[in-house]
This record gives sequence, structure tokens and C-alpha cells, in this order.
Amino acid sequence: MAYRILEHTADVRLLVEGRTLEELFREALRGMMEVLKAEKKEGGVESQRRIEIEAAGRTALLVDFLNEALWLAHTHHEAFTRVAFDEISETRLKAALRGWPVEGFGEDIKAVTYHEAEIRENAAGNLETVLVFDI
Amino acid sequence: MFAKSKMTKIEDWLWEIPRSYRDDMRVPARVYASSRMLDQIATDRSLEQLVNVATLPGISGYALSMPDIHEGYGFPVGGVAAFDAEDGVISPGGIGYDINCGVRLLAADVPVDAIRSQLGELGKALYREVPSGVGRGGRLNLNDEDLDRVLEGGARRVVELGYGDEGDLQRIESQGTLPQAEAELVSPHAKSRGRDQLGTMGAGNHFVEVGVVESIYDPAEAERLGLWLGQATVLIHTGSRGLGHQVATDYIREMGRVMPRYKISLPDPELACTPFTSPEGQKYFQAMSAGANFAWANRQLITWEVRQAWQQVQGAAGGGLRLVYDVAHNIAKIEEYRMGPASKRMVIHRKGATRSFPGQPVLVPGSMGTRSFLLVGQEKAMLESFGSSCHGAGRRMSRTRAKKEVQGGELKKRLEAQGITVNVGKLSGLAEEAPEAYKDVDEVVDVIHRAGIAKKVAHFRPVAVIKG
Repeated sequence: MAYRILEHTADVRLLVEGRTLEELFREALRGMMEVLKAEKKEGGVESQRRIEIEAAGRTALLVDFLNEALWLAHTHHEAFTRVAFDEISETRLKAALRGWPVEGFGEDIKAVTYHEAEIRENAAGNLETVLVFDI
Repeated sequence: MFAKSKMTKIEDWLWEIPRSYRDDMRVPARVYASSRMLDQIATDRSLEQLVNVATLPGISGYALSMPDIHEGYGFPVGGVAAFDAEDGVISPGGIGYDINCGVRLLAADVPVDAIRSQLGELGKALYREVPSGVGRGGRLNLNDEDLDRVLEGGARRVVELGYGDEGDLQRIESQGTLPQAEAELVSPHAKSRGRDQLGTMGAGNHFVEVGVVESIYDPAEAERLGLWLGQATVLIHTGSRGLGHQVATDYIREMGRVMPRYKISLPDPELACTPFTSPEGQKYFQAMSAGANFAWANRQLITWEVRQAWQQVQGAAGGGLRLVYDVAHNIAKIEEYRMGPASKRMVIHRKGATRSFPGQPVLVPGSMGTRSFLLVGQEKAMLESFGSSCHGAGRRMSRTRAKKEVQGGELKKRLEAQGITVNVGKLSGLAEEAPEAYKDVDEVVDVIHRAGIAKKVAHFRPVAVIKG
């Protein structure tokens, strides 16, 4: 489905939509990576990082998933372009992120916040949420 | 859009949103602003966010905002909230992800005219010596033991390693170390994210700026602080880098999980909090203090890097760079205030706000290419604003809009035409920080000065900007 960047005075507000939870999480990751503006390292080898998250509900699960991916990106200097979910429910996920080494990022995201985040069904019957990134 | 008609004017520069505005408010909300500024402030979600802060358990007096307020996430940026240390809460969102983001001012022994012909070279040397951008590591890669010492010792530990002297420490808020810091409460995640980032500037609105003292408003205070007209200066703006961001991420998640145990319900999950005296509250405070110490250590190492660049370019003729003052503007501190007949210990949350104790320098950087101010705190701040003042110009335009309206390359040319040398990693990042994306810092500072919580001493104009 899609994501779209909305106005915010100081930070970045992203609207994400997906037909399923899996698709919503995938789009949110893609949106976050676009905001980060990764500068790919020439000749880098594809990497894989595993993520396991548990949370009280699906919105917290999404925010915590993105924060974990952000931590992996910053500490390993990698950008993640694909995610494969071994398991995803309202409160738990197991996934493998695939990505590439980067020289750096064009934008810094300090964190993904819970502010305004709430996964709900929109008029088209898809899952949707707003995410605010602290820049 | 917040309706101005819902607010009461207390003075020309102070407005109140009464408790009756929303049922869940525990105290009123107060905004320092001129009428004109308030019209602009009311256009984003800042004031609704400030009202949300006024609902938090144990909040005392009022939720307060400075004239540089703008929309944040959870707490607005430019806010101050005081919580009773006995029965109030601590909220990581009230400090922000960049724990102890702050500003440091250095003053040169020489006038800017003595270095003007070398500004291009100096800008390049500063860009080389102070790593910036996202993903560029610093000169130290600390092992676990060394990192823990920095987290508990702050700027003092960096001075012990040879990067500065005792005189520097005396001119830093809290002498650059919060004694409550506990390194073991900083997660391995946070440590690994910040391990190689000591002595780095980062990106976003962080900068190093060479400037000149252009105007003095209070000669006696300027003399006390060693400032004179025409003097060259250096401003440093950065914080605790990835380590602080991760400390906040970890504890906001943790507090969100345990809040039901304390029967706290909130209008926004990003305001997650627990009682200050709870195990989670105490752990966060000690981890936040460690993050604050990392930031002071970072600005201390950057100061050494700046002094290196200064000496490389100018040799002995450039003289020294004396630390004037260093203030935090994203932090929680334990302070005492008179509340009714008695003094009370309070947990003061400053998010985009600067401590403003009587006689203490308050540093207010303007937007890139515009003036920055030095003020000193006044007694009235202790009575009215929980010893706090503003922290900068405050954004008014989104990053996306700034990039649409301003071309990085053109902005660089415009600044250079104004006599400002620009060394920047990303031109798009430069556009995001264009002066037109910010409020007028003169107006912000005038409100603070007229309100009497800090008074103007001097302003500086940039001559070289270094950014990630």
C-alpha cells in the first residue's frame, strides 16, 4: 500500500496504510528508511538482522519494532530494504531484516514516538496510523 | 488552531489557559508570548500539547511555555513542568530524546578582525576536527569501563583525560556532572549506539558557529563575564547523541508498560510517566543523569577539538578560547521552590527551556545566520518560571516546507553574501535550518527580557557556520 509524509513544525509526521498488519509494518519500515536517506556503501554485502518484539498491543508493537530497526541501522550502519515476518500477531513478532551497509544517513531520526500513533481501520477498510519521528 | 479567546491575558507578555478549559487539567497552563507571537503559536498543536502536560499527576503551579514554544510529540518544545518530588511523576517525554541537548559559549582573546582573513581556513579546520552528520564516529572509541566512567563523571572525566581544565568545569551548569548518574542503568543498546560518538556534533539543528560580539546591552554584566565588543566567539550546540536518544526510547517504552500498575492514564502515550519515587522513576532519573553527563562530556571534547582547530589555523596569535558558560536545555533537575508557605523539592522538567538562576548566563542561539543572545537569569525567574527561560528562536516552519521554499545552495550563497562562511555536510540539511523556518529570535528574547525572568547582556552575529 503506501505511506505519505505530512506537515509537522519540527519533526516528521508519516501516515502509513496497509491491507494487513504485516503490510502496514513493512510500509512503516520503508517510510522510515526513506526519511533516513541512507547513503549506500559501494560494494557492500547484503546483511540480515533478526528482530523479536513483544508489546501490550499492535500500536506499541509497531513503534517498538521501528525503534529496534532504527537501533540496528544506527549501530551497524545499515539500511533495511526488506523484512520477512516469521510470525506477527497483535502483541508479538519475529522477523528478519535484510539490508545493506551505508556510508551514513542524510537525516537523523532520534526515535519513533508513540505520539498520535494508533492503528485503526480507515474508510477503505485498510489499517492505518500516523507516526511521528523525532528528528 | 487554538482559540485565543480561551486564554486570559495576565500581562502583555504572559497568557493563561485556565483549568476550566478542560476537565482533566490539574493546573492552568501559562504561555510567555507577545500577542502577535501567540497568534502564530496557536496555529500548530503546541497549546493542546501544553494542556495535556497540565493533566499529569503531581504537577505544581502551572504547565509553562516559553515564547519559542512549538509543536513537539507529547510535551511541546519550549516547555517547563514542575512536579512535587514526593508525590509527583517523572516523564522522559518531558526531557526529550536528546537528553541534555545544550549550548556552550567560548570567548576568544582576540577580536574577530584579527581572524577575519583566516575564516575560510578556520571553517574547514573546524569541519575536519569536529565530526558531524549521521554515522560519522568520533576520535575516541570507548571500552565498557571507560564509557561507564564518562557516564558517571561527565565533563570532569573528559578533563581528567586531558581535554580541558578545571576552569572549564566551573563554568558549566552543575559543573558538567550530575552525581545521581548510574551507568549500569544505561542499557547495552544505548551504550552501543553512543560508544563511538563522543566528540561528535550530529545533524539536524546542531552546529558549531564562530561569531562576533556585536552589541552589549548591559556593560557591567558583560565585563563580569569577560565579553567585549568586536570579540570573536564560538557557540557549540549539540547533546547526548545516539546514547541519549536510546536511553529515552528504552525508558518511555518501559514506563508505558508499567503505568497501569500506578493507575496513571494519559491523554497521550508519549507522556508516559511513573511516580518519581517509584523504582522505574528513580531508574530513569539515574539513567537520564548518565545521558546528561555524556552530553556534557561530548561538549567538553568538542571544545578541545575547537581549540585544536583554532590553534592549527592561527597559532599563538589566535590566543585562547575561554569557556563562558554551558547550559542544558533538555533535562530534569531536582530544585527547591517556594510553594505557598514552605519550600518544596521539585523535579523540574525542561524540554527546550534553559535554567535561569539569578546571575547565571542563559544562552539563546538564534537561527542560522541571525543573532544569538546571552542573557543572565533574574530573581523573578525563581518566583514565576521555576528558574527557567527560553532556549532558542523556536521553529515555525516544517522541514518539508523549508526544503520546498529554500534551496540549500542558494541559501549558502545568501549567507556567504552576508559575510558568513558555511561548511556543511548536506545542503538539504542546510535548507531545513534556513532562518525563515524559525521565529524571530529578537522577539523571543524581548518577551523574556520584558517579563524579567532573564535580562539581555549581549548578542553575537555569526561569521562562520559548521554543520553536519
